[in-house]
Amino acid sequence: MRPQPANQISRKGLKVWRLYGIIQTSILTLLAIGFGVLVYINDWYTWLYIAAAAVVIADSYISIYLIPKIRWMRWRYEVRESEIELQHGLFIVKRTLIPMVRVQHVDTSQGPILKKYGLAVITISTAATNHSIPALEMEEADELRNRISVLARVAEDDV
Amino acid sequence: MSEQRYRLHWVTAIIETLKAAKEAILPLVVLLFANGRRDWNTGLWYIDYLSFLILGGLIILLSVSGLIKWLRFQYWFEDDELRIESGLFVRKKRYIPFERIQSLDYTEGIFHRPFKLVKVNVETAGSSSLKKSEGELTAITKEAARQIEQHMAEAKRKRKQPMAEDLVNDDPFYEETVEAVKEKAQKVFALTSKDLFILATTSGGIGVILSGVAIFLSQFGELIPYEWIFDEFASFVKFGVLIVGLIVFAGIVGVWILSVIMTFFSYYGFTVTLEDDDIVITRGLLEKKRVTVPLKRVQSVSVIQNPLRQPFGYASVSIHSAGGGVGDGAKINLFPLVKKNVVQESLEAIFPNYHFEEPTTKLPKRGKAFFYRIDFLWMLPVIGALAYFFFPYGLLSLLIIPAIIAFGLWQYRSGAYAIYDSQLTMRFRGISLQTAYMTKRRIQSLEMKQSYFNKRKQVATIVASAKSGMGQHRGIIHFMEEGEAERILSWYEKRTVQNAVPLLHVKDESLEGE
Repeated sequence: MRPQPANQISRKGLKVWRLYGIIQTSILTLLAIGFGVLVYINDWYTWLYIAAAAVVIADSYISIYLIPKIRWMRWRYEVRESEIELQHGLFIVKRTLIPMVRVQHVDTSQGPILKKYGLAVITISTAATNHSIPALEMEEADELRNRISVLARVAEDDV
Repeated sequence: MSEQRYRLHWVTAIIETLKAAKEAILPLVVLLFANGRRDWNTGLWYIDYLSFLILGGLIILLSVSGLIKWLRFQYWFEDDELRIESGLFVRKKRYIPFERIQSLDYTEGIFHRPFKLVKVNVETAGSSSLKKSEGELTAITKEAARQIEQHMAEAKRKRKQPMAEDLVNDDPFYEETVEAVKEKAQKVFALTSKDLFILATTSGGIGVILSGVAIFLSQFGELIPYEWIFDEFASFVKFGVLIVGLIVFAGIVGVWILSVIMTFFSYYGFTVTLEDDDIVITRGLLEKKRVTVPLKRVQSVSVIQNPLRQPFGYASVSIHSAGGGVGDGAKINLFPLVKKNVVQESLEAIFPNYHFEEPTTKLPKRGKAFFYRIDFLWMLPVIGALAYFFFPYGLLSLLIIPAIIAFGLWQYRSGAYAIYDSQLTMRFRGISLQTAYMTKRRIQSLEMKQSYFNKRKQVATIVASAKSGMGQHRGIIHFMEEGEAERILSWYEKRTVQNAVPLLHVKDESLEGE
């Protein structure tokens, strides 16, 4: 068995994903309330209320609790001298290898929510593909970005 | 210093005008239709003929702008750069260093032929920005094109041997090298007329035309008097199903013949030659095209067999290049149609450092079910619904199950892979069978995918991404042995000294070194 990549992403990333889940659920809740009003006005079946409520509850469990947890547990990365290895995925676990020689550039970025939590996203671009590591501590992200860009510059082709 | 500036041939003005007119044709047609089908008359001639007035005005406007575009366009050579100045209202200057030019692609359209002109597309690496980075010279004489080529070769030579410049700076020497290069051209592939016919008949261009018709119908749907057609049709059906069937059949055959003719025109005289380190592809009857692909820009090679051609032992070969634009621009049809049994030989003549053997390692049996299992997810509800709502006949939908399973097994049987010291060969099937050949240095990233169920069965999917223009070309091995997938990951990692495998003997220039 191939060992998992060594590093996990920031614990705070879990919080951010939960927050995203909450936002998503509140939108769904609003929709459900709208639906409930429609049911009331048109005098449709009562069980529709229950169905709507069930959908909201199920969604809040899945998208606030379950998915962030699995995603966070799964997310691992490792930056070695000659390659970057990522592992992520919810149902399908993806392991990606990016050789340092193929790295074209590295970016860090953060949106308002990530900024509030002091997190940043690293995006690694090759000539053909883009890969990102979500939710790293800001200092860690900056440090990693510098490290990758130095390694990518030094890395020599072996073939 | 003032260099001599060149202008394009005057036929450019006509071509530019027609090009602009082609873009404006859809709104124009709508305009004519919308205005032309009125019954009432205002008595004011300029309102009655408004659409024609607009049309006339537009034609004049387009011709004038085409003319000005031609007058404003200039190119010249300075400081080892091709400099282009153009623009109707906004003056654009584009300087392309010769050393950055990957290739010059020539197109000869019907307007070019009588004057012995070519359209030149200047292809640069074009990987850094989404903008169209190449220059386009709409119509210049063939001599002028050759002149650009010479400037280019000279600039490249200067760059290659800056030290030796004093020794061999004379133009005669340079002329000689150019001649030598020209002689080295080696023809590696040509489409025979029989192949051309088979290509045209099996190209699937019919789909393109049918979808074109569909788009046309959706665009002009409102203008077509459907009710009238339906009335006609109702009386028409009375003629009997046979005649309707015949008409439909004739329509399809007509579309097919059209597609055959189109393919014939565009692939007529298809030849591939190897000139120095470039692959040169020429094709076309009415519009002659000449595309140059530098060998070192080739990122991956794919042999594709669609189900229509596979039983007859035919395949097509495409290569993905790093240059070119978004989408199909970077996928180049190297051999549009070729006998499967000569593919290996012909490809090895062009790419000596690839191994074009068929991959031999097949997929494990335990992964077989994954090829069709996921399809049950959407299939079962559909079958259930069909069976319920159309009770006795709906049960026929159960036949989907064996069909899906058979298709899955077909995909399973097609899958295979092989690793050579620095090359990964992947064979997989969507509908067409594709064998992708990628060298390690051209694989930009490698991914191993595994779902929970895959893990239990110890199978995994490998996806290798290579660059193709602005995008990527992906090779896939579905549901292979987990251990083998991990071995491919390790193979892709940089080698340590302990498990050193003999290095690849040929060292081609890297993409990054450009």
